[in-house]
Amino acid sequence: MFNKSNLIKIEDFLWEIPKSFRDDMRVPARIYTDDEMLDSIAVDKSLEQLVNVATLPGIKGYALAMPDIHEGYGFPVGGVAAFDSEEGVISPGGIGYDINCGVRLLRSEKTFSEVKPNLRNLGRTIYHEVPSGVGVGGRLDLKGREFDMVLEKGAERMLELGYGEAQDLEHIESGGVLHTAAPELVSVHAKSRGRDQLGTMGAGNHFVEVGIVETIFDNGEAEKLNIFKDQVTVLIHTGSRGLGHQIATDYIRIMMKVMPNYGIVLPDRELACAPFKSREGQEYFKAMSAGANFAWANRQLITWEVRKAWKDVLGKEGGELSMVYDVAHNIAKIEEYTLDGKRYNLVIHRKGATRSFPGQPVLIPGSMGTNSYILVGQEKAMISSFGSSCHGAGRRMSRTRARKEVSVEELRQRLESMGIVVNAGSSKGLTEESPEAYKDVNKVVGVIHEAGIAKKVARLKPIAVIKG
Amino acid sequence: MTYKILEHTADVRMIVQADSLEKLFSEAVYGMMKIIEPKVDNKKEVKQRTIALEAVDATALLIDFLNEVLLATYIHKEVYNEVIFKSLSERSLEAKLSGFRAKSLGEDIKAVTYHEAEVKKKKDGIWETMLIFDI
Repeated sequence: MFNKSNLIKIEDFLWEIPKSFRDDMRVPARIYTDDEMLDSIAVDKSLEQLVNVATLPGIKGYALAMPDIHEGYGFPVGGVAAFDSEEGVISPGGIGYDINCGVRLLRSEKTFSEVKPNLRNLGRTIYHEVPSGVGVGGRLDLKGREFDMVLEKGAERMLELGYGEAQDLEHIESGGVLHTAAPELVSVHAKSRGRDQLGTMGAGNHFVEVGIVETIFDNGEAEKLNIFKDQVTVLIHTGSRGLGHQIATDYIRIMMKVMPNYGIVLPDRELACAPFKSREGQEYFKAMSAGANFAWANRQLITWEVRKAWKDVLGKEGGELSMVYDVAHNIAKIEEYTLDGKRYNLVIHRKGATRSFPGQPVLIPGSMGTNSYILVGQEKAMISSFGSSCHGAGRRMSRTRARKEVSVEELRQRLESMGIVVNAGSSKGLTEESPEAYKDVNKVVGVIHEAGIAKKVARLKPIAVIKG
Repeated sequence: MTYKILEHTADVRMIVQADSLEKLFSEAVYGMMKIIEPKVDNKKEVKQRTIALEAVDATALLIDFLNEVLLATYIHKEVYNEVIFKSLSERSLEAKLSGFRAKSLGEDIKAVTYHEAEVKKKKDGIWETMLIFDI
């Protein structure tokens, strides 16, 4: 178990576990946090897991954790790791089973008072338009080449099928497509598991949330994004569904088998990896890219479903729902950074971390019923955090404990009394995602802002929650 | 023979114990079905599914096996209440699964992970492993 004596404070909001802490560490581990949150982070296994990441071949700089870090399996959730693309590895566990889980924010032209009379109907209609829950299929059932085209082209393919507007793609990380995707490297099993899941939310912590802009922190940046006070927004949080889960499962199994051939020895099997340049490393990267494209297509189709619900309820007077941005928080990307004066092409693994390039909108969803944030990436992220920021509030309580401690009726009443309309398919799912099961998103985002890796632009407040 | 769900910050941690390797594997399947919380259509028995696998050791074999069962559960919308091993060693298995059609599934397990998993026989002869399910 860690305590604060193992950590060195290197600047405000940034702590380090030195390389000398464990013999097998290749680089130090770093954590963005504050004193108070550090105490809660040290309780579970997240720091031990971060130290394990620091042992992987070809890791550069430091294994990095964001203030929303919590215990995962293998890699901690809320982590960033950079590997040399020539000498380093790629690890499916460092991206996670839900490849390109991410968030998308839509902005309306309306204020809260204009939408309020129809809010209950809007929540209900979105719930009916966006399929949710375990094993619930969507409106498309694509097969063969039709399905592969989604894996190849991501959100763009959804536009070709009529589910979106041309300008949507300009506001998606990587334009909503990774051109490295190779559908033929995605197994038949993975395709079967995801085939009917396009345009579906799934279960767990995934949601669609209608919110309002509660506070503007930076008028200039807000104006650039067409964000104004009291504006109604829609936030979508989901990923690549069963397809992504199976791609990760398939390739972790492959890597487990080939690791001895590359002389890789690990402190935890779930860190299974292969050299990025190896056949297995390249094949996983191309399959992961296909999974990421599926997730962008999924959020694009859900956007179409939400727009349909919006039109059905508010009619022509409701105006348009336009894209603010769409970010991935479980993904690997090739990016260029300078370390000790030398340029490197690095394989950046973000697992529960959001890209935070200078000027790019960074979307941080809170837990159910709490605030979410729009930030903008800062130059310092390129120097200190491999162009990355946090991804959410971060869990602090297990699902089983949340179920024991929170009554579904009390939770529903509490959310309703806060003026939040709730449409949820599962009572169990609702209590598991109760706000007290998460860290305080305001504090998490506060650390990111104070550390200077992303700047607060606006805070959103939920008015309708829709989940499986 | 038992499985027990333990605390984990974000996912589900389960300890499984049994007096034979075979029972450890089948108990792990029943424990996983418990997490999935299906609503079962008792009238609709499903056709028997066969899973045959090889792995580097017993731990990898169990995790790969559970992931195959998970795949069958979600693709076919089925729940399995009987596992019969035609063969089982520490590095290979052939199993037959029987069960029912699921009316609905209550939990979305993304995968069974290798993290903390270690199939071992303790001094008292009891087989044991920890399992972490990504939810």
